[in-house]
Amino acid sequence: MNNLDLFPYQKNRLEDTDLQLASTLHDLVEREVMDKRLELKEDYEQLLKPSMRKIFVDIGLQKMFWPEKLGGEGHNGPEAAYTVVAALEQVARADTGLAFLAAHGMALQASMASRGETDGEACARFAPLFCEGEDAVVVSLVLPTYAEGEGLTKWRGKYLQVTAKKGAEGWTLEGQGVRPTCSGADADLFAVLCGVAGEDGPALILVPGDAAGLKRGDEFKKTGLAASRNADLDLVKVKVPAENCILSGDEAVRKLLSWYYLGLAAAGVGSLLASYEILKEWGDTRVIKGRGQVFKENPLTAALMAQIAQDTALDRLLVYDLAGMLADPGTFGGAGSEAVHTAATMIVQHVYTSAEMAIHHVMELMASAGYAKEWQLERYWRDVKTVQCYLGASEIAKFDVARWFYQCETL
Amino acid sequence: MRTIDDFSRPKEYLTPLGENIGDIFRDWVDREVIPYRRQFDEDWKEHELILPPFKRLLGEYGIQRMLFPEDLGGWGLGHSDFLSVAAFRMFEEVARADSGMAVAFGVVFWPLLFIAAEPHVNRRLCEEFAPMFCETTEAVFSALAMTEPQGGADIENYEFLKGSTIQTTAVQDGDEWVINGHKLWPTNTGGVADLLAVVCTTDPGSRDKENIAVIFVPTDAAGVTQGESYEKAGMAADKNSDIWFENTRVPLWYRACGPGDDSLYFGEVMSLGGMGTIAFTVGVMMNIFERLQDFVNTRTYRDRPLKENDAVAGVLADFAATIEACRIVGYQCARMCDRPDLYGPRWSPEVVIKTRAHRYFVADRAIEAIGKVMNIMESYGADRDWDVEKHWRDVKMCQLWMGGKQLCQMEVARWFYECETL
Repeated sequence: MNNLDLFPYQKNRLEDTDLQLASTLHDLVEREVMDKRLELKEDYEQLLKPSMRKIFVDIGLQKMFWPEKLGGEGHNGPEAAYTVVAALEQVARADTGLAFLAAHGMALQASMASRGETDGEACARFAPLFCEGEDAVVVSLVLPTYAEGEGLTKWRGKYLQVTAKKGAEGWTLEGQGVRPTCSGADADLFAVLCGVAGEDGPALILVPGDAAGLKRGDEFKKTGLAASRNADLDLVKVKVPAENCILSGDEAVRKLLSWYYLGLAAAGVGSLLASYEILKEWGDTRVIKGRGQVFKENPLTAALMAQIAQDTALDRLLVYDLAGMLADPGTFGGAGSEAVHTAATMIVQHVYTSAEMAIHHVMELMASAGYAKEWQLERYWRDVKTVQCYLGASEIAKFDVARWFYQCETL
Repeated sequence: MRTIDDFSRPKEYLTPLGENIGDIFRDWVDREVIPYRRQFDEDWKEHELILPPFKRLLGEYGIQRMLFPEDLGGWGLGHSDFLSVAAFRMFEEVARADSGMAVAFGVVFWPLLFIAAEPHVNRRLCEEFAPMFCETTEAVFSALAMTEPQGGADIENYEFLKGSTIQTTAVQDGDEWVINGHKLWPTNTGGVADLLAVVCTTDPGSRDKENIAVIFVPTDAAGVTQGESYEKAGMAADKNSDIWFENTRVPLWYRACGPGDDSLYFGEVMSLGGMGTIAFTVGVMMNIFERLQDFVNTRTYRDRPLKENDAVAGVLADFAATIEACRIVGYQCARMCDRPDLYGPRWSPEVVIKTRAHRYFVADRAIEAIGKVMNIMESYGADRDWDVEKHWRDVKMCQLWMGGKQLCQMEVARWFYECETL
């Protein structure tokens, strides 16, 4: 049995094509990322960017949802939720950051190109970018955050970082010191959640990376996610056509976020699986010399190793459960419903909280090898924590959960 | 506005000396470390940026002389009964800026405890090594070489294993020791240290603690080879490497304290190492408090400063409570190390075990609390410019060294519950 199959998941719900994709990705990342990272570490140009191209373009994750007639694979029914999870946990097993970026692109695809909800005009406009090129297309989101200044529109208590005005020639976007979720330094497309003058709800407007007036700051250093070279943005009278507003209103935003959280949660599980593999090797080969005892046979260390496995297994089940909810809108409501969005919020927050603690524990068991780059564990530890930070404060996320379960009215 | 000095220090433990030194250290870190520390993180291999501020502190201010007797050019802190409390204050201040620098700084003195701390001062070795530290304005570093390949925490686990797994050998040949072996991970290696204290065995496999030998070895001795600096998740100022000893010869009298006493006073090194780790952790949290204050005062949520949201305030309160409690635990731990008349000698199993308990308790609390602070700060929590993420990476490493958490748990259980087979 494959070590990773030790962790149960709803395998019976996956199509053969999903399993084949997972297997292909498993082998690809093993060869292209894991076998090279001792030498190349987290080098963006030599390791991460070429790997991204293979995963996004050659394997085709960036084409998955787009209609076949536009060059995509047309795998855009709700059951694609399982595909997203099966794929991204394999990608994250090699590098959390690559899966993090893939989750952005897949969430955008799901929002624009889901079967039965496809915006034909928007798809026709943007699908070629993803389906016709030879390069990986990096999508970044601009989501609400805290504010430093005044005058920004709020959405659920946080502030929309960019304001948009609609005119005769399309949209004009303004924002200063905007913090995207990823890749501010080199994203090809920014999906910007904007406050719209005169409208209550937000709108998601796509801004090409080369739009006039879009100024990227210097890449800043951060804890992890080397695949995401992030930088703050200024949007100075950025003009885009009217069709670049691909969705508006709360339900559409929740749909985007539900798919985004699914992808991130899958990336969290992939990182846990990778950590498990590293710990497994440590536990099998390390000997507590004073006792001549194999590390994993010590009751104290075995108990903690069991806790790590338990967290990994339960998180995996939870993420596949979330995929099941998205895959069956008839039973659970659509991805944009409050119920599914709340479940997605709970699950992604839970996965990252438990993943943080589980990897902390793996580090404790491996002592100094846990933080030595040579053993590779520490990159998952940094990456998982970084994703958790970018997800937003869990205390604030709990307000969404409280609103749903307790019908709070003023939170 | 509240400051880090509003957190409690047990005032009955403080001394004018400690407080004055603390003020000097704060001034030093504010001027020479904090403005540059983000660049230090990239300087893990060369230490081109890290060494100049150390030169100021250790060499020019003369702090590296601290432990040696006054008549040898030192400051005589080795015979102070406020040694640990004063050290706690210094470590806390350095770690506030950079806990990697704090450990590099602390380890300068760590091996010297064997020879310069009362009541077991080795006068001859003090006379031998004091000039190296006291007659220069250059920074001089020491290192304590313990860990070995495949040995993990075996050496720190000395009460249980009694040195039986030590592979580095010291063989007497005439009036010299001949040392052979391979050590991993000592702080201040990778070319930094000038003087090593090496934990060896004089009889491989022996469970007689008399055969555990701590022997001083200048790094320029023939047969000493240091490897490349390890690349780690953090703690750039704490340089670590492999060290190999190949027929390295030093005089017999370079042994720290002698048969039986080397292992006895190894306990002291463990106690003070644990105390220091708490100080590093508390110092880190002090600075996170400062950065967090800035964040929650200037960022708004629902049109009010972030700190005014009740749920966020709950997390902020937990963090403040963690600092408050951990700092008191740390000072109590330090004072316990300073008052053998009340608590027993700091090398006694009881004090060693209690400092281990304090240390892992504080590390666990800190890691949990800092993780929540990062999360409250959202993407800025992971942003180098806000400094919290650096502290988060570093403090995790503080938890894992000296045998890590599980060894601490075993030792604590053995002592408090008198376990016989653990």
